[in-house]
Amino acid sequence: MSTDSSNGGTLSIRHAGKIYDPDGSNVVALDDVTFEIKAKEFCVIVGPSGCGKTTLLNAIAGFDQLTAGQILLDGELLTSPGKRLLPGADRMVVFQQGALFPWKTVLWNVTCGPIQQGRMSRREAERHATHLLARVGLTSIENQYPGELSGGMKRRVEIVRALMNDPKILLLDEPFRALDALTKSVVQEYLLELYDLTPKTVFFITHDIEEAAFLADRVVIMTTRPGRVMKIVNVDIERPRNHQVLTTPHFLRIENEVREAIHDEARKAFEAGERELA
Amino acid sequence: MTTATTRSLIAKDKQATGARLRRWIVGLWNLNLLLGVISIGTLGLLWEYAQPLGIPGVRNVPAPSEVVSASAKLLRSRLYWEGWMLSVQRITLGFLAAQIVGIPLGLMMAMHRNSFDTMFPIVEILRPIPPVAWIPVSIIFWPTRELSVVFIVFLGALWIVLLNTIGGASNVDQNYKRAALSLGSTQRDLFWRIILPATIPSIVTGMAVGMGIAWEMVIAAEMIAGRTGLGYLLWQSFEINALAQVIVCMVSIGIAGYISSGIIRQLGGFAAPWQRQH
Repeated sequence: MSTDSSNGGTLSIRHAGKIYDPDGSNVVALDDVTFEIKAKEFCVIVGPSGCGKTTLLNAIAGFDQLTAGQILLDGELLTSPGKRLLPGADRMVVFQQGALFPWKTVLWNVTCGPIQQGRMSRREAERHATHLLARVGLTSIENQYPGELSGGMKRRVEIVRALMNDPKILLLDEPFRALDALTKSVVQEYLLELYDLTPKTVFFITHDIEEAAFLADRVVIMTTRPGRVMKIVNVDIERPRNHQVLTTPHFLRIENEVREAIHDEARKAFEAGERELA
Repeated sequence: MTTATTRSLIAKDKQATGARLRRWIVGLWNLNLLLGVISIGTLGLLWEYAQPLGIPGVRNVPAPSEVVSASAKLLRSRLYWEGWMLSVQRITLGFLAAQIVGIPLGLMMAMHRNSFDTMFPIVEILRPIPPVAWIPVSIIFWPTRELSVVFIVFLGALWIVLLNTIGGASNVDQNYKRAALSLGSTQRDLFWRIILPATIPSIVTGMAVGMGIAWEMVIAAEMIAGRTGLGYLLWQSFEINALAQVIVCMVSIGIAGYISSGIIRQLGGFAAPWQRQH
């Protein structure tokens, strides 16, 4: 089985800038964003709506390009002004609304990547997929269609699909946003279990501060309009983690640190929004 | 998949079919069906006795008993079955032609901006013209009456199929395309892997509506331009004042339409198995 074959996965974001200019209004989505995510580090990005988190993710994934600065993955240029490396299996994305193909079965969805890329035979891919699905508590759903699954199940299938590709970096855009609190906590633990099993570089976007502190090695807090890095908080809590961690004073202190930092920012963003509406 | 699991899946499928059959038989005795039978029975009785009771407006409408005896006679005639066959043949040809033209054209218009800009104005000018209004031109243009009727059926089914295909294909969720690219599809794979399967449900909806319009058109065209077919038979029966026969023809057309929608539904379930209700 190909666990942890890709070494590396160091992401360098250098002076990244993005200006949207649809009608000369010059919206600055990203402004001089610089930070590095170490190989196999779980990095969570938090910030108020419109702080450019998704813009950054799209640039890394190859869906969009920067208007300033550059992003490198293991020294390879992903994007700089006028340039982008097309989307590929080395940068797997798990989308906010989910993007399992509804017209294919669960098994097909999770095995199509490695089979298409010729990295695994069908038999090998199916065995690996069944194993990973079982790790996240999903058995005998292989021949069902995504439409027959609950929200929590779909998110787990989608994470398994991403991991089947053995990416250098896993990009998750608020993947658990639509889940209820209980389901969310279960799926978070499954995600951490998979992460501990095969550590990868993770770029995880969320609004949820508790989620950020629970999952991350480091939390990057961003400001809004222009999107800048405001603060980076280290989460020095040992892995494996489970939900009991959430009530320890140490965890609460870290969570609070993130909350304090983001609160002022959220208020500013909110007030700016109100002004725009007024 | 191992043969054992395949076998068990087949067994499960058989069980499911058995259960469905049992449910259906039990369902025969439920209240819904009873109410249905009562309402149709009441309608039949009202219809039968409306005339002797002297209810105005129905003086010339033949009673169900007359219709039954007329249908016994008509069902034995060759003319009637020939009418069925020819109408079905026209529907089949016109409807298939509409799919062959409408689906590829719709996909092309959805995917290429230029072809959309070229074709859409033409479509929007021709579409509001009721297909029946085309009958004179059609008779002059096409060498045979048969072809002109088929052409009217074609027009009836074309627009709705075309518009549904355009709508479906241009509303494919961008994230499916992005996910496919991340999983190793090339830009050229996207059509077969994403756009076409994602559009199938809209195409099937277009076909279902289009089939209804196709029946309307074949009857109208046969009444005006035909010398055979169910529509022609209906009109001829009216001309010779055989009103019971008119009603037999009406019911026949209803049955034909019902069977046609059943076939489209089956086809839809086959083409889009993920949309079947479980």
